[in-house]
Amino acid sequence: MITRRRRRGRAVSLLLVAAVAATLAGPVTRIAAHSPDPALGGDTFVQDGRLLYDWRTGAVPPAAMRTAINAAAADVGDTRASRAATFDFDTAGANPIGYGTGTCGVNGLACFTRDAPNGFTMWFREQGRVFDWGTLKWCQMYTDAPSGCYDVETIALDEFGHVEGLGHHVNYSDDSDYTDAVVQTYSRTRPRAGYNMHVLGVCDVAQLQIRYDIPGASSKYSTCLDVATVMTLSRSAASVVYGGNVTFTATLKVVTDTAYGRLSGNPVSGRAVRLQRRPPGTTTWSNFATMTASSPTGSYVVSTRLYSSAEFRAVFSAPTNEGLRADGSPAVAVAVGSCTTAPCPLSTGR
Amino acid sequence: MLESRWFRRAGPAVATLAAVAAVVVIASSTLGAPARTWVPEACSGAPTMGSSTAGTWYRIDPALDAGALAGQRLTVGRAGDRGARQLDLDAESFAAGPVGGTILVGTDDGRHSRLSLIDVARGCAWSVAETVDVIRTATLGSDGATLFEYRVDRRTRADLGLWQRPLDGATPPSRVLPPIVADARFGPTWLTDLVWSYDRRSLAVQSCGELACRVRVLDPVIGEVQLVADPDVGDLVGIAGDRLVAHGVCRGLPCPLVSVDLHDGSTTVLDHAAGQAVLSRDADGRPLVVHEVGAAGRTLRIVGLDGQHPAALDGDPDGRRLVGGPARSGGAAETAAGWILFGPDGRLPIDGALRPVLRHVPDGRTVPLDEVSR
Repeated sequence: MITRRRRRGRAVSLLLVAAVAATLAGPVTRIAAHSPDPALGGDTFVQDGRLLYDWRTGAVPPAAMRTAINAAAADVGDTRASRAATFDFDTAGANPIGYGTGTCGVNGLACFTRDAPNGFTMWFREQGRVFDWGTLKWCQMYTDAPSGCYDVETIALDEFGHVEGLGHHVNYSDDSDYTDAVVQTYSRTRPRAGYNMHVLGVCDVAQLQIRYDIPGASSKYSTCLDVATVMTLSRSAASVVYGGNVTFTATLKVVTDTAYGRLSGNPVSGRAVRLQRRPPGTTTWSNFATMTASSPTGSYVVSTRLYSSAEFRAVFSAPTNEGLRADGSPAVAVAVGSCTTAPCPLSTGR
Repeated sequence: MLESRWFRRAGPAVATLAAVAAVVVIASSTLGAPARTWVPEACSGAPTMGSSTAGTWYRIDPALDAGALAGQRLTVGRAGDRGARQLDLDAESFAAGPVGGTILVGTDDGRHSRLSLIDVARGCAWSVAETVDVIRTATLGSDGATLFEYRVDRRTRADLGLWQRPLDGATPPSRVLPPIVADARFGPTWLTDLVWSYDRRSLAVQSCGELACRVRVLDPVIGEVQLVADPDVGDLVGIAGDRLVAHGVCRGLPCPLVSVDLHDGSTTVLDHAAGQAVLSRDADGRPLVVHEVGAAGRTLRIVGLDGQHPAALDGDPDGRRLVGGPARSGGAAETAAGWILFGPDGRLPIDGALRPVLRHVPDGRTVPLDEVSR
C-alpha cells in the first residue's frame, strides 16, 4: 500500500538523451539530415534476390490490405533503382505476412523481423485496433477514405524498406524533407503530404544503392548521395610528330571508400566526359573534345591529330540529376614535333 | 467519472465479463484438447491470490469481422488442465497477469470500462472496477490487494494518469501519477503499459509513441518517480534493481537492446541486434537478461543487466521461440523465478500444434509447461 507519496521526477532524461544516442550508434549508422537512410545492422539479402511471401496461416489480411501490400511489393521493384531484393507474393512463399496481434509489441502500425539473407516476417495491426489516442483506420478499408487514416501501401513500403535493411530517415528539424524517404519514424495520416507515398524516396534509394549497388554502371546515383568520383587520363603517346594521332583514354570511377559500401570503386559509364587542353605554361583550360564511352566499363576515349604541344585533362562535371561529384584528371602532356612539310600554319594550333 | 461500489462487491454472474463474454468458438487448448465455452461465475468472498499457481496462462487475440477488429478473444487456462476457456471481450480490452492464479481483465463497451479478476483454477471472476473513463490497462499491486489502472478520457482520449484503488473497495480511487507531459519527440501516446520490476517493488509506467517510449518508474511505497525520456529508447523489457532494460527505437527485430542505469542515466548496449528478450535470474538469484541473437531466434544469449558475463544459450531444438513480455506476445504464463518460456512464433499456442516448454535458466533444464505446474 502507498503510505507516503513523494513525487520526484528525477532529471535522468537529459542525461539519457546523449548517452543512449551514442550507445545506439553501433548498429545503425547515424547520418545527418537529408542523407541516406541509416543502415540497419545485419546482413543484406542477395543482390536482386527475389523474396517470396505468403499470408500467414490464420492471420490473413483482408482483401483490401492484401491488394495494397502487393502493390507496395511492386513499388519496391519499380523504384528501388538498385540491386536490392524484390518481393513477390507466392503461395509457396517462405516469408509470412500476418494481420493481427503478432509479436509487434508496442510498435504502432506494423512491424517486421529480418533475418538476412534468410528471410523476413511482417505483421500489420488490424483495422479498428484501439490505441490510447484513438482507433486505427486503414485508408484502404474504406470506399471513401476518412481523414486520419493510414495508407496501407505506404506503411507496407516502409516495412519492406526495413526488411531490405533501411533504418528510419533522419529528417530536417522542420520535416521539410519528409518525402525524401518513405522509411520514416513517424507515419503521416491522410491528408498530410507524404501519407500516401507509393515510391521509395531518394534517400531510401541512396542507402539501397550503398548496400546493394546500382543496377549498372550507367545507372543514376540517387540525388540523396554525394559520391566522390575519380577521373584518370592516359594518352597513347607522350610525343608525336606534327599532325600525329593520339588516343586519350579516361576512366571514371567512384572513389574507393568503405563508406560507399558496394558503390566503392564502381566504374561510371554513360556520363558526359570532356577532354580539355591548355598550352604549356598557361593556366586556362579550354574544351577540346567530347570523349565517348568505351570498354572496359567506365572508360571514355577520343582519338585526335595534334599539331602543337599541350597539356590535357579529362573532366566530369557534376550532373544535376544524380549524386555524383565532379572530378578532373591530373594533366598529361603531349609534345608535338615541329611542322616540317609545307604547308605549315602560321601559328600553332590544331 | 462513475465509480460503482456495487460492482466491486461482485455483481451476480460477474456482469463485467458476462456482458461481453458471449461464449465463443471452440478452439484447442495448449494441450490439444478443445477449449470449453465459458461464462464465468461470480467468485464468492473477497478476491484472493492462490499459491502454487504456476502454469496459469492467458492469450489474447483479435476477433475480426470482415477484416476489422470487432473484439478480442481471451483464452485462459492452467497447464495440466485438459481444456482452456475462451471469452469474447470488447475491441478495447486487455488482460494482465497472471498473478496468484488470477488474470486481470479489462474491457470497454464504449460507455464504461470494467475490470474483472478471473480465478482460473476456480473458474470464477470478481468484478473489481467500473469507470466512465477508459481504463487502458491495469495491474495488481505486489500486495495483491491494490489495483493500479491507467486511464484516458472517453471523449477526448486525453491522458488521465495512473490511479490506484484497493480491491476491497474500502476507499475510492486516487491518482498516483499525473498524465505524462506532451513531448513532440514521442508524439501522441499509442500504448501505455504497466510493468512490475523483477522484485515487484517498482512499477514502470511506459508511455509509448508510435515507436519511442518514455518510462516513469514509480516506487508505490514512497511515491518516488524517475523519468526515462529518450527518443532513442523503445519498448521496455523489464526493470531489476537500478537498471531498466529496453529495446531501441525500431519498427521490428532485430533491434538494439540497452540497459539504463536509473541512478546516473548511463546506458550500456547489451546487444546491437537482439530479438525477443526477457528478464530472468541466475543460480544466485541475480537478475539477468535472456535474449535472442538476431531476429531468427535460433540461438540465445544471457547477459547481466550491466552487460557483464555474457554467455550463449541454446535455442529450442524444435523451433519454438522465446516468449517475450505480454506486450509482444499477447499473453503470459505464471512461472516460478528463473524459468523462461518458449512457444511457437514466440507465443503461447492455442491450437495444440506445438506445446510450450519452460527452461530453467540456471541449469538449462527444459520441461513442458504443464509438467511443472503440477
